[in-house]
Amino acid sequence: MSNGILGIGISGLAAAQAGLVTTGHNIANASTAGYHRQSIHQGTAPPLLTGSGYIGQGTRVNTVLRAYSGFIEGQVGEAQAQASYFAAYYAQLAEIDNVVADSQVGLSSALQEFFASTQGVATDPSSMPARQLMLAAGETLASRFNLLGARFDEARAGVDTKVRNVIGEINSYAQQIAALNTSIVAAQQNPAQPPNDLLDRRDLMINQLNRLVGATAVAQSDGSIDVFIGNGQSLVIGRQVMTLTVAPSQADPSRLEVGYVSSGQTVPLQQASLRSGSLGALLAFRNGDLNAAQNALGRVAIGVGLGINNQHQLGQDLTGALGAAFFSFPAPAVIGNTGNTGSANLSAALADANALTVSEYRVDYDGSQYRVTRLSDDAVTVYATLPQTVDGITLALASGSPAAGDSFLIAPTRNIARGMTMALQDGASIAAAMPIRTAAAGGNTGSGRISAGTVDAPLPNVNLQQQVTITFTGANTFDISGTGTGNPSGLIYTAGASISYNGWTTQLQGNPAAGDVFTVSANSGGVADGRNARAMAGLQTSNILGNGTMDYQGAYSLMVATVGNRTQQFEIMARAQETVLDQALQAQQSMSGVNLDEEAASLLRYQQAYQASGKLIQISSALFQTLLELGR
Amino acid sequence: MRVSTSMIYAVGISGIQERQQDLFRLQQQLSTGQRVLVPADDPVAAAAALDLKQSLAIHDQYRANGDMATAQLFAEEGALGNLTTLLQDVKTIAVYAGNAALSASDRATLAVELRSHYQDLLAIANQNNGNGRYLFSGYQGATRPFAETAPGSVAYFGDQGQQLVQIGASRTVAVSDSGAAVFLAIRDGNGTFAASPAGSNSGGGIVGPGSVTEMALWSSALNPRDFTIRFHVAGSGAAAQTTYDIVDNVNNVSLLSGAAPGGGPYLRPYSAGSTIALKSQVPPDTNPVTFDFGVTVTVDGAPADNDAFSVRASVNRDLFSTLHGLIASLESGKAGGAASAAAYQNTLNASMAGLDNALDKVLTVRAEVGTRLRAVSAEQNTSEGISLDHGRRLSELLDLDYAKAISDLSQRQIELQAAQKSFISVTSLNLFNLL
Repeated sequence: MSNGILGIGISGLAAAQAGLVTTGHNIANASTAGYHRQSIHQGTAPPLLTGSGYIGQGTRVNTVLRAYSGFIEGQVGEAQAQASYFAAYYAQLAEIDNVVADSQVGLSSALQEFFASTQGVATDPSSMPARQLMLAAGETLASRFNLLGARFDEARAGVDTKVRNVIGEINSYAQQIAALNTSIVAAQQNPAQPPNDLLDRRDLMINQLNRLVGATAVAQSDGSIDVFIGNGQSLVIGRQVMTLTVAPSQADPSRLEVGYVSSGQTVPLQQASLRSGSLGALLAFRNGDLNAAQNALGRVAIGVGLGINNQHQLGQDLTGALGAAFFSFPAPAVIGNTGNTGSANLSAALADANALTVSEYRVDYDGSQYRVTRLSDDAVTVYATLPQTVDGITLALASGSPAAGDSFLIAPTRNIARGMTMALQDGASIAAAMPIRTAAAGGNTGSGRISAGTVDAPLPNVNLQQQVTITFTGANTFDISGTGTGNPSGLIYTAGASISYNGWTTQLQGNPAAGDVFTVSANSGGVADGRNARAMAGLQTSNILGNGTMDYQGAYSLMVATVGNRTQQFEIMARAQETVLDQALQAQQSMSGVNLDEEAASLLRYQQAYQASGKLIQISSALFQTLLELGR
Repeated sequence: MRVSTSMIYAVGISGIQERQQDLFRLQQQLSTGQRVLVPADDPVAAAAALDLKQSLAIHDQYRANGDMATAQLFAEEGALGNLTTLLQDVKTIAVYAGNAALSASDRATLAVELRSHYQDLLAIANQNNGNGRYLFSGYQGATRPFAETAPGSVAYFGDQGQQLVQIGASRTVAVSDSGAAVFLAIRDGNGTFAASPAGSNSGGGIVGPGSVTEMALWSSALNPRDFTIRFHVAGSGAAAQTTYDIVDNVNNVSLLSGAAPGGGPYLRPYSAGSTIALKSQVPPDTNPVTFDFGVTVTVDGAPADNDAFSVRASVNRDLFSTLHGLIASLESGKAGGAASAAAYQNTLNASMAGLDNALDKVLTVRAEVGTRLRAVSAEQNTSEGISLDHGRRLSELLDLDYAKAISDLSQRQIELQAAQKSFISVTSLNLFNLL
């Protein structure tokens, strides 16, 4: 009997001790990441059957449990993946939002200064200081484009670095999870007790993995878990780990792509399959907003560059020579797929800035046809032959011939902003004047007037500056003579109708009389003529981008508004997702977190249980003493 | 709900963090005065602000262009003002030169005075704007526009280009007039047609400037615009009878009789000072074709037999040759006799008409310059108004409402203090303190 009491006392002591130790473990780990509070699961020891029935034999500790809910943990993981997706996306967007916001590095002020200086030249064409100012403003504008382009490139390089780091971390977590799987399976086999702290560590790893890339964990019967990412690509299967890798994209070697190493082969992971975690955010940002912003900036650059160049080349500089290119910029990027088997080299040239989009294009050759896909909306156009002009870009076969299955990436505006430079170096070379002028002969008796005339795009006709004479043979008929005109005669006069020869256009008004003569001739010595500079300045407010829907500033504002909108949107989403995560974490903490007050109460409880069990042993001892005294 | 200790800390800290973020933002807004710090704060306002800033910059530029235009127009107006004064002086001299009592030496003195005016005229025509750019050379600002190639013959080396300056979104204004427009494109005669004596006239006929009775008839396409009025004197002394014929030089036919010119008949009788209308008068006209060219000329004095006067559409005569012709006729003077006196008077008349037309021309150009100056100033005022409006809208879009921001700031301060105090008091409660 006393043996029973002692045994019960000892079992109580042991249980209380286990409770105290577990409570102490909880207190010690109150701030440990991923820790779930533990508690002992106490049960009665098997009773002793006597004639008077079953007599209890004290207590025992069945197991140590952690407060854990797979459902809540799953919610936390999901919320974590989403929250870090939006937070990472927002952080990236905020970076380019800051770039376009800064009025010191923003484009607007440089654009305005450039066009103001052009007006300055238009107003006072013979002034060298005004011309130097325009050159300097052009230089500033080009370097502002370069600066912004470089900032976008920096952002891209930053994303690439982050992607590499994230892939490294993912691989490391996958290794640790596989290693923990091994330990847990071993620990669980004998005895069949849960290795709580190991489980906590593995759950923590999975949670960390969720931050980086949305991961799904599937528990197996042996206690291990399998981890899947993306669209079900396995990352960890039991003890096995698949490795993610970063490699240059086949379609565009300048860009990194995430690949998945499976039995020695690298399979590119579709970016679309990675929609959560910071990796998903980085890839989506890079392929979406960053490309769009960079291309939009490129489009403004090319719009300004091409627009000014085209107009400038219609003009005449201070020395009387026709205008040269004002800006120079790189040709649209054409990138052949590294897997191409044919020998073809495609070339792309800018034909019309107005028709340009901010998208990139893929050209696929299927053996007989070229399929041109606009990547922004996947619109496909099919051509049997090249060259063809698509959205303002002329694609041509520069050399070689393509093989079926070859593809090319066309990035019309990607490198423009970074590569734009001033082509003109000398203020006197600014073509502020028009190369032609018109005159009415002094002996004219009619009231006919000739307009100042304009030069037609594209580049000047070789006979542009040849003297052309318009002679009226009657009040309503005239002859034209001059090199390049073909000397037509007997033309019918209509007031205000355009007369175009040799690349110029002019209009006659009023009532000319027979014998009246008008001339169009070279504008030699026209140093005070600012007509072409005025035409260049007029480009500032012409809707010559986006198929005639916006001017330069409008295209830039659109880009700023787009970036701003996306940033605002992602800021809101990130906050909302943060709240969702907070709630999930609160539910998880509510379930599994350590409350020190609770632990203090447990300490008291187990301390008292210990004291009570001790008292039992003391009583047992006293009982034994009674027996001993009986025999004395 | 069960609350874990780390949750108490986490929630407390995140509450304080949020308040601090709000405060930081408000502080940034207050220190910069800007409501929109990055485009994400208000993408619509940020983009609209960029467009408004461009508009502001453009209007600033238009006003600067307007100032430039005003300066150039003032320079031109100054030159034209001097030209007006000069022309008025020359006209006064020309009128005085018509005085029959003047002696040859008087006329020579006048000629000397006019020569000095002639040089002044050249100087005005070649005036530059102070930066070496000539006012009246068209596009060729660096080319001296007028130079005398022979006595009385001034060549123009400029062109007919007119410099335009952008002073508004859809408004340009001319800031120059070419030398051709000011000094060369001056009609002779009365501006519509010129009546002048033939060089071979030996009589004392003096032709007036003539007048247009109906412009539409003169402008008609049927009008050959080139006529000769040829006189015939029959008899002599008191019995002399003067008659004339009107010849259409283009079709080479007498308008009055339909006969070939030169041999008469001279159907209309002439009396000194009578008005000769280029219009059928049947009789004495015998030509069955009626005509009316809507003009009349007046011939005074006594034309000799076979004297003729031409009536033709006005052509341009440059101011320099008009002035030089006047000087030459003052210098050569009257040799005595009716023919010489009539020639002198006819030259004076033609010169006066030329000077009148030149003055009209200059005044027209000056009026245009004035109109342009007013247009510049009106455009600048409009632009100023637009800029003010845009500036106000920009401020509405981007600027901070200080009253609201400051009230927000104090509210956030109170919230932060509450969060901090409650955090301290919640975390200081601990069962272990009581054990």
